[in-house]
This record gives sequence, C-alpha cells and structure tokens, in this order.
Amino acid sequence: MSTATILALMAVGFFTGGFGAVAGIGGGVIITPLLMMYFGLPMQQAIGVTLVAVIATSTATSSLFVERHVTDIRLGMTLEIATTVGAMIAALLAPHVDRRTLAVLFTVFLLYTAFSLVKKAWDTRKQKKHDEVADYTVHNYPIGLGASLIAGGMSGLLGIGGGPIKVPVMLLFMKVPLRVAAATSNFMIGVTAATSALIYWGRGDVNISVATPLVAGVFAGSLLGARLAPKVRPVYVLGLLIVLLSWLGIQMLARLLSGGIH
Amino acid sequence: MATPSNSSTPSASNSATPSTTNRTDVGADRVVALTLKIGAYLAFSLIAAGLVMQIWLPMGKRVASAGLLVLLFTPLVRIVVAGLQFAHERDWKYVVVSAVVLGVMVLAYALGIKV
Repeated sequence: MSTATILALMAVGFFTGGFGAVAGIGGGVIITPLLMMYFGLPMQQAIGVTLVAVIATSTATSSLFVERHVTDIRLGMTLEIATTVGAMIAALLAPHVDRRTLAVLFTVFLLYTAFSLVKKAWDTRKQKKHDEVADYTVHNYPIGLGASLIAGGMSGLLGIGGGPIKVPVMLLFMKVPLRVAAATSNFMIGVTAATSALIYWGRGDVNISVATPLVAGVFAGSLLGARLAPKVRPVYVLGLLIVLLSWLGIQMLARLLSGGIH
Repeated sequence: MATPSNSSTPSASNSATPSTTNRTDVGADRVVALTLKIGAYLAFSLIAAGLVMQIWLPMGKRVASAGLLVLLFTPLVRIVVAGLQFAHERDWKYVVVSAVVLGVMVLAYALGIKV
C-alpha cells in the first residue's frame, strides 16, 4: 500500500473520530461508504474494518464519559445482553445476505442518521449548557432490550454502532436523560462491535493494512474531540456532518441505481 | 412564599434511592474508566509504533496487528473487570448480567474462529 493511501486513511480516521466525538456519533456510517467507494474495499471488508474503527471511538471517548459519571454502566451492561446477541447472529448471517439488500439497508440508515443530526442541531440551537444531570429512574426495560437487539443486529450486519436507534428509545421510552443516553449508547458500542468484529476477524474480513492507519487516526481524533467537545458549539460540526452524510447517501443511491454494488 | 409545610418535606423529590444512583457508583466508574483508558492507550501506542516501524522493518506490521488485537479484547476485559467490581460490591444481579454478556462474547469468538 502506498504512503499516500496510508496517510489518507489516517486523515479519514482523524476527522471522523474528531467530528464524531464532538457530535456524539461513532462515525461508522461515514467510514464504510468511504472505504467502499474511494479505497476500493469489498463490502464485507469495509464493514469489518469499520467495526474495529468504531470500537476505537467507543473505547477512547467512553473512558472519559465514564470517568465524568455521565455513563450509566449498569443500564449499558444490561442492554448489552441484547446488543451482543443481535450482533453475533447478524455477523454470522452477514456473508449470506445479498449485497444489494445490505447496501439499501445501509443507505436507509445513513439518511436516517443525517435526519437525526438535523433534529439534534435544531434541538441544541438555543439550548444552554448544563453539567448536572437530574436523578432518573429507568423505565420500560423490555422496549429498551428490543431496540438494543435491533441495534446490535444492524451493527453486526452493517458495521455501524447503532446510536441513532438506541438513543431515542432510551430517551423516550426508558426516560433516561439525553446526555446519559448518548454516553451509555456510546459505551455499549465497544462491546457490541467487538462481538461482531471477532467474527469478521475470524473470517479474514478485517484488512489489517487498512485498519491500522485508520484506527490510529480515529484514536487521535476522538481523544482530541472528546476533550474539545465541552468547549465547542456542536452546531457547526453537526451541519458539516449533515452535508457529508447526505452527499454519501446520494453517492450510495447513485451506485445502487447504476448497479455498481455487487 | 415559603410555608413551613413545604420545608418539612425536603427530601420528597430528591431522595437517593438505589434505582436513581446507577450513575454515581464511583468505584465501578473508576475501574471501568481505567480499563478503557489502559486499553485505548496501549492499543494506540502499539499501532502507532507498528506503523512507524513498518517503514523500515517488516515486523512493524505484527506490532500494529497486536495493537488491533488489544483493541478487540479491551471490551471483553472491561466486562470481566466490571463483573469483579460488582462482586466486590455484592451486587449479584449485575454479576450475573456481566457473566451473560461475557458468555455471549466468548460464544461469538468460538463461532467466529470456526466460520
């Protein structure tokens, strides 16, 4: 692999890790299409490499969130029972699922993520910063476990973390405050993605030459991003990510329609 | 206007019951954060060192892959550490939760190497 490719992978990792940490997304949904469309990786390899990158974001940022007591580790570990089962089953099934079906599912999720960031940007527009999180009681474990099973399945199938599925469910049905829901979802992604990644690794779908520079970039970016996050107004980062996701979504749709995904 | 009847029930809305103190288990938060931090920095150092070594030495790639493996197994170690901490706190419900999650991961690993 050329030095230019290695540097490009580091840059992709650095920016998705950094912006992802500020915006509160894992960035898997950005990395997979980039690897497929610009680095020529087959879909299963792109997903395998993305899973490893997503573990890196989760590990780096949640070490800080857990330390600041924003993460609810008991809630996270309870829901991990469902995410890991979903991830394991989906990762085992993934090679037998039609590529075009996977690409359609992926594109839908990508556009849904862009939409959820639009909503987030709108909500945080005039929100004041507050560091205290009010006491809460967790409700509706069955709904939370159901959503986690689906989020885990999407992770094993598509390589993403599934935050945009888990966070609204924790917020609306389980009555967990937004900051705690986002931090806890992020915390769960490490274990969920590692479960699928072990299966992709065993199958030889984690391309080490691609994964190492990407992960190095992700670590540097997300450690920096998580430290800057409390000081940066996320609206601009959210805007940038919305543009990027919409553009990637359109590219994926174009490839699908022209039959460029096998 | 503050009335005596208001001040006589100060803890009605703010009492710390176990169900609302999930987040403030300082001991568990500390060991889990430390595990994640060690895993993250160890993986990052190995991968970065491996990438630099790769320029001159072929074994650099092995060092970098070792970093990826550290990253892959950090979540697994995190579960073991959390489970031990819950056992230390005699919070048996979450010892069971940790054991189940660990069991699923080990099963995935066992199935993964056979596929």
